[in-house]
Amino acid sequence: MRTEKKISQTKYLLILYVIFFQFFISSCKDSNRETIAVGLSTSPITLDPRYATDAISYRITRLLYESLVDFDEEFRVKPQLADWQKISPTHYRFSLRKNLKEFHNGSPLTSEDVRATYQSVLNPEEISPHKGSIDMIKSIHAVDPNTIDFKLFYADPLFPGRLVIGILPKELISKKHNFSRQPIGNGPMKIISFKNDKHLKLKRLDDNKIIEFITLKDPIVRVLKLLRGEIDLIRGNLPPEIVSWLAEKDSIKVKKKKGSTFTYLGFNMEDPLTGNYYIRSAIAHAIDRKSIIRHVMGKSARQAEALLPPEHWAGNSDLVSLDYNPDKSRRLLAQAGYNDSSPLRIIYKISNDPFRLRLATIIQSQLKSVGIEVEIRSYDWGTFYGDIKEGRFQMYSLSWVGLKIPDIFYYIFHSKSIPPHGANRGRLNDYNVDLILELAKFEASLDKQALYYKDLQKYLLDILPYIPLWYEDNILVSKSDIKGYKLNTDGNFDSLRYVTKNN
Amino acid sequence: MYLNYIIKRLFSAVFVLFSILTLVFFLIHIVPGDPIEVMLGETARTTDREALRHALGLDLPIIQQWLIYLHSFFHFDLGTSLHSKQQVSQLLLEHALPTAILSLASLFVAILISVPLGILSAVHKDSILDKFSMMTAVLGVSIPNFVMGPLLILTFSLWLGWFPVSGNEGVTSLILPALTLGTALAAILSRMIRSSMLEVLQEDYIRSAYARGLTKFNVLVFHALRNAVLPIVTILGMQLGTLLAGAVITETIFAWPGIGQLIIESIQKRDYPVIQGCVILISFTYVLVNLVTDFICLSLDPRIKLDS
Repeated sequence: MRTEKKISQTKYLLILYVIFFQFFISSCKDSNRETIAVGLSTSPITLDPRYATDAISYRITRLLYESLVDFDEEFRVKPQLADWQKISPTHYRFSLRKNLKEFHNGSPLTSEDVRATYQSVLNPEEISPHKGSIDMIKSIHAVDPNTIDFKLFYADPLFPGRLVIGILPKELISKKHNFSRQPIGNGPMKIISFKNDKHLKLKRLDDNKIIEFITLKDPIVRVLKLLRGEIDLIRGNLPPEIVSWLAEKDSIKVKKKKGSTFTYLGFNMEDPLTGNYYIRSAIAHAIDRKSIIRHVMGKSARQAEALLPPEHWAGNSDLVSLDYNPDKSRRLLAQAGYNDSSPLRIIYKISNDPFRLRLATIIQSQLKSVGIEVEIRSYDWGTFYGDIKEGRFQMYSLSWVGLKIPDIFYYIFHSKSIPPHGANRGRLNDYNVDLILELAKFEASLDKQALYYKDLQKYLLDILPYIPLWYEDNILVSKSDIKGYKLNTDGNFDSLRYVTKNN
Repeated sequence: MYLNYIIKRLFSAVFVLFSILTLVFFLIHIVPGDPIEVMLGETARTTDREALRHALGLDLPIIQQWLIYLHSFFHFDLGTSLHSKQQVSQLLLEHALPTAILSLASLFVAILISVPLGILSAVHKDSILDKFSMMTAVLGVSIPNFVMGPLLILTFSLWLGWFPVSGNEGVTSLILPALTLGTALAAILSRMIRSSMLEVLQEDYIRSAYARGLTKFNVLVFHALRNAVLPIVTILGMQLGTLLAGAVITETIFAWPGIGQLIIESIQKRDYPVIQGCVILISFTYVLVNLVTDFICLSLDPRIKLDS
């Protein structure tokens, strides 16, 4: 009796076991994914180009919408939807190209849509972060369906370069359509779904290929997903040692291209210590940037001497590099009244990003070797950023991403741009800087403007309100079956318009 | 008697929730960082910043903001997200279900591992099996989730290819995060079960049970484990907090779209209404589970006196 019972129990267990494994194995099979999946470190905050300020939102909205103008590799303005004509210093006429693509809802793109888009940005009720960049616009007039006039309050030679906001359909703007989650533009891709703010699916209109953007905060998980083929490519935001490790794998391709993301050390010019030129200069000569780039950043960066890279039309390629010279640094410290018996003590604030923290400890160690005691204080982004804006720091490091128009100098270094009026976080108040910036701002010729900015960059390197560190490379890590992704200096995702996957 | 006890517990639960609500409200407003900065970026004009601050009511005195929040809260309105403009209650609903599934699955994993391991260790005290299982328990407690998660992914996704690395696409996506969270809890529980079982196994009624000729299995499960499980139920309730805290990290590693991910992102964006909503939901769950735990204990052991 007992044996029979045992046999029947074992039989049932075996059946259960088989059913479980059937289910398990069937659910474990990889689906044959036809899509191209991109791993992102953060989700886009919005898909409405009128409100996009973060890099990911900007890069994705470029795929969904087109703007009047765009930039080339030297950051010069070039036509996209329209060509322009300067009728007077305060009057620009834009003519839309013929045979423009329709909006994704089927309506044609006309000058009325351009007018409605820019007027909604300027509308006081809309509160767009980009309003400040186009508030010189006095009026917008649609001359005919293909021509639009912009009249300005004052002359702005850089004006065409400011019209980079993607164009939205007028009809939907008036209906207060939620472009942030249901974007409708005339770009090369249209939205399919945006699930949980983590999984965005777009369809490429040329070949109906689905492009997925999957947010994966943890870089290790992003890499493991790539190795297992759950995603096809990752653009940046990976620790350099992981990139080097991936480069050795047969199934993975790593591409690099010079980028324009500028990393710097900033000083509080109102602080008695960092306001002292000798101290700033001593710090500058004590940092061995070449070694950091070679050994820590895996050669994925190039040394920077100014905010704009040398290939920028207003960049200065003749700047003399800040050399690594510990002896000079010690001499400068002595001139400022510090030596080994009375060392200089500085507080260095950074965000809590692990890689930035690692870089900070290396800089701390390099400064220690010349007798500067650095205390690192690392905070979450909100706290750190709040402190920097309020001027509660001596030294900090940050990066500028996506700089294109050179009047950013006004915003960062003019004495009228101290937060909250701008990003002069170091509270620089220098007569010469202000003068050059004013002259450049009202100079009608772009070539002459470029000369002013070149001079300014040389002067800034002399007075050192920032220590330029490096420009980070744009990096693509992809499965080897991904073809045709061309990296660019801007770091955008434009190559997803034509990238292919060999299944 | 029961009713009095329930009312007393409910009152204290409401008091706890109200305190948390108030504390969190003031704490997140004190912490540096400005939602307007995150929303508009650095390039926005001062007038636009102020206009947005006014539109969102963030320019009001903090006490007034708190009273407005309380008023809405008691009208079952948790507000709208500053960023996505979605209702907070809707966001919480969307994200609570995945977290609940993950927590229950982890609990299931923890019980599945810890009960046999704890019983075996107690029955075979000081044997190799006991030492091995307790060593495993120590390891389980010591390895943090952010190490355990990638290790499991490496083994089961990359080398064996059984499960997806991350995501929320069916049962297979649930197994690794549930294992990550569950093993840490299993480690604590198995040690608890072992010590509780060891104590119970010394009792006279166990000897009597054996004397009555009951099988070892019957004695262990129906006599020993039933009595040993009491302190474990209490611990389980208390561990829910750990489980939810662990879920914050585990959800980030496995891109699991739960409350953990939502709270991290809203803190980074300083999305006050969403942070408050998440914290209230977590504390409510915590208070509720502890309440339920007490009632379970009561029903398991009628000797527990209500007034004590």
